[in-house]
Amino acid sequence: MSTSAPVVETARQRPSVAGWGLWRFVTQNFYVRRLFKALVTVWVVSTIIFFLIRLLPGNPVEQYISRLIETQGMDYENARMQAAALFAIDLDAPLWVQYGEYLGNLLSGNLGVSITSPGTPVTAMIGRFLPWTLFSVGVGLILSFTLGILLGLMMAYRREGVLDHVLTILASIVSSVPNYLLGILLVVWLGVQWKVLPIAQMRGTMSPGVVPAFTFAFVYDALYHAFLPIFTYVLTTMGNWMLSMKGSTVGTLGEDFVTVARARGLNDWRITTAYVGRNAALPLFTQLTIAIGFVVGGSFLIETIFQYQGIGYVLGSAIAQRDYPVMQGVFLVITMSVILANLLADFLYGWLDPRIKVS
Amino acid sequence: MESIQGVLSWLGTTLRLMSYNKAGFIGFLMTSAILLLCLLGPLWIPLDTKTKLDKIYQPPSAEHWMGTDHQGRDIFSQIVHGGKDVIYVAAVAALLSTLIAVTFGTVSAFAGGVTDSLIMGVTDVILTIPQFPLLAVLAAFVKLDNLTLLGLFLGVLSWPALLRAVRSQALSLKERDFVEAARALDLGTGHIVFRELVPNMMTYIVISFTLALTAAVYTQVGLVLLGLVPVSSSNWGVMISLAWTQGAIFFRDAMWRIMMPILAIALFQLSVITMTRSLELAFNPRLRTMA
Amino acid sequence: MVQSTVGRPAGDRHPDKPPLSLQNVHVSYATRRGKVQAVRNVSVDLHAGESLALIGESGSGKSTLGLAIVRLLPETARIEPGVITYRRKDREVDVLKLSRSEMRAFRWSDCAMVFQAALNAFNPVLKVWAQALDTAQAHGWHDKPAIRRRLVELLEFVQLDPKRVIDAYPHELSGGMRQRVLLALALLLNPQVLILDEPTTALDIITQRTIIKLLRQLKQEDHFTMIFISHDLAIAAELADRVATMYAGRIVELGTSDDIFYRPRHPYTLGLIRAVPTVTGGFEQLFSIPGSPPDLVKLPSGCKFHPRCTFATERCQQEEPELELVGAEHSAACWNWREVQAELQRNPLHRGALNVLDGIGSEVEGS
Repeated sequence: MSTSAPVVETARQRPSVAGWGLWRFVTQNFYVRRLFKALVTVWVVSTIIFFLIRLLPGNPVEQYISRLIETQGMDYENARMQAAALFAIDLDAPLWVQYGEYLGNLLSGNLGVSITSPGTPVTAMIGRFLPWTLFSVGVGLILSFTLGILLGLMMAYRREGVLDHVLTILASIVSSVPNYLLGILLVVWLGVQWKVLPIAQMRGTMSPGVVPAFTFAFVYDALYHAFLPIFTYVLTTMGNWMLSMKGSTVGTLGEDFVTVARARGLNDWRITTAYVGRNAALPLFTQLTIAIGFVVGGSFLIETIFQYQGIGYVLGSAIAQRDYPVMQGVFLVITMSVILANLLADFLYGWLDPRIKVS
Repeated sequence: MESIQGVLSWLGTTLRLMSYNKAGFIGFLMTSAILLLCLLGPLWIPLDTKTKLDKIYQPPSAEHWMGTDHQGRDIFSQIVHGGKDVIYVAAVAALLSTLIAVTFGTVSAFAGGVTDSLIMGVTDVILTIPQFPLLAVLAAFVKLDNLTLLGLFLGVLSWPALLRAVRSQALSLKERDFVEAARALDLGTGHIVFRELVPNMMTYIVISFTLALTAAVYTQVGLVLLGLVPVSSSNWGVMISLAWTQGAIFFRDAMWRIMMPILAIALFQLSVITMTRSLELAFNPRLRTMA
Repeated sequence: MVQSTVGRPAGDRHPDKPPLSLQNVHVSYATRRGKVQAVRNVSVDLHAGESLALIGESGSGKSTLGLAIVRLLPETARIEPGVITYRRKDREVDVLKLSRSEMRAFRWSDCAMVFQAALNAFNPVLKVWAQALDTAQAHGWHDKPAIRRRLVELLEFVQLDPKRVIDAYPHELSGGMRQRVLLALALLLNPQVLILDEPTTALDIITQRTIIKLLRQLKQEDHFTMIFISHDLAIAAELADRVATMYAGRIVELGTSDDIFYRPRHPYTLGLIRAVPTVTGGFEQLFSIPGSPPDLVKLPSGCKFHPRCTFATERCQQEEPELELVGAEHSAACWNWREVQAELQRNPLHRGALNVLDGIGSEVEGS
């Protein structure tokens, strides 16, 4: 009777060498591979920024030195010393030593000192303003992703229906308006023309007198102030999620495993969530990379428009005032948050799709 | 004579294919109308630069189709003149980024191996850097007072997402029978690329171009809005930026002044994006041979 | 051994009350070109413990009929008129009149279906165990240890190592393994009727043999009523008690395995058998039916097979024949079945035409 014994392939055995084993650990473990890639990206971006600042024609260090000489009548040596202190760079050392020191400073969290508000370390500014951006952008992204997936799923189930047509048209209109213009439109219409929202009151990140604590009053106040940025992020990105999810769901509904699940007598809810929804949402995670960068990147205009004091707002004013150390530090931090967010998205994807971990 | 006929019949087929998608065709007509108005309009409609204190902030009327601004100048004439620069910069940027994306995307897909890994590695790193802040920070260093330079600058940094899309498209084409067949027949790389691939990639290239166009409009106007790109003349972005910095958005009567350039940009973006649906049909080699 | 693991006391055998009977079943699809008549006027009884094979070219309606029984056709399909009666013990239901939730309960616990494309039959993101659990829980069985025990038993029956398979994701299993897991899953709830749609297509020869062996073991347990849908006549011959030939949505011939393969009376069945390549026979004996299956939107007049039939007469073009008895348990829908009989006497079927039968025949009769 036993023509074919159970055939299960055992893991391929390779000669084990210590170094080889480590290499294999890095290249074959999905999570380690992603973490490694994120670290490399952080390093590459920091390096690019260093060389841009030092080698670009409009080199900000030189610009700052000449500005000090012009405006404050400093002599070159003094101006140079002050610039070096601000940028946390030893200008006399060879370039590669400067680069080494720069990386060392980064690792120890020293990003230099702001020019416009002297004495304030860039790290302190980041610590103060970054959480607000993480909060508003994070909530916005999660909301739009979740809503987009749910609506896309509904559109696929009722395709060619009224809901489908209306949402498709709305989605294509809203996603073709640049998000900062939508922000301006919200201010113009909701705030000024119709006076629905007290725009002036909603500015900033908190109302005066509210203390950051894990209380209802604080959370409510934070959401109240972040409402317009979040609303803008959700409105401008949801359309794409909806349309992608609809397309992906229509494809998944035609898969054999959905028919088999119905043949197995599973109830509709289970099929829609665990069989159709989960599989249809998977391709969207790969688009998350681009979306996160886009929203975080765009946040700095949105925050400027709504006067929401997050890290993007700080970047906006640093650029306007040519506060180079702040620009450099904030830009690095923004990039790192994008890399971190991508890492999280990758991990989530790996957790949701078992197939991804093998290749 | 024959070549003229050929061109005409090509145009006819293209238009017919495009008209199969109604929304896409409307997008195409709107895009054409906006382009015509912005490129040829300035020849007929003079830019209104005269301050007329008695005509400040007028709503749309027969005389001023889009109302007047804070100095009583006609907004419509500013809109007509303000599109040219925006579209020019966007076109330069889109051309450059499409060129980079298509060239390296195809090379990456077909070369495979180390070349592929290298190109994709670089692409992935650049893709993670948020583009808009990067452009803004760079714009603070480099003086971008020339439109072509601005376009090139936008184009050189905005190709990674397109490249990934082109590469995956090329990868799927590579597996198709006709390419395999051409390889088996040893028809040479040139033949494979220009006779087999480019016609089949055309849809994708054209769509990439339109998407790059809208992306370039997005970043460009954003930079103008932040005041990072020198304010040269009338331009949709500059109009919004001025209205913004002068506080016009908080002034109820100033609504037309700020709405019109926003509408112009939104309409342009919407028309171009909708048009891609028709372009998909028009450049599909299979549909074309059937027609 | 098999009896003790998958079997259960045979008690629901009512020889006079077939577990599944189809009466006058029609299936049509609304398409832009018009109404596609995929299945027309099919009436057949499935007796307890019997296995029926549906054979025919693709597009003959055999898969549609299988899907119609569990009502899994696309939304554009209509099953009317027709009655599908299902009986288990004292319960008797009209499948086509079941409510949504009753239908859900009917599927898999009364009538399980093993699909053609078992490669994609599993949700790629859930482990085998989770999918088995889903199935059991959907039918109100929540006793996890018992479900696990049952699944282990069944996986052993289909000759898989439960330890390796139960916590594996579908992509970690080969095609043949997935097909066997699906078979095990189909038996999980002790269904009375098992529909197997091309159970061995797309598998390599060795795996095919394993599956066929398993199916023959199942067949020997007389409480399973099975429907095999296959275009592979050898498999039908090996596994079926009775065979129905389908053409253009209708059953054109119905009889015991021996009747159909040794004494076909319908020209289409004859054509199918003669088209089977043989190991011993040369290529000169190979025959193929001329023409292609008819357009189901614009069916030909009269007998739907007449444009491709070598026996066709004037009458075939005008009147469509009904199934009529041509033997004890054998019926065919052909005006000229006697001509076919005569033709068979002149040119007997090549003994090797279905040489598999020679090996199996004794077993079929012995069971």
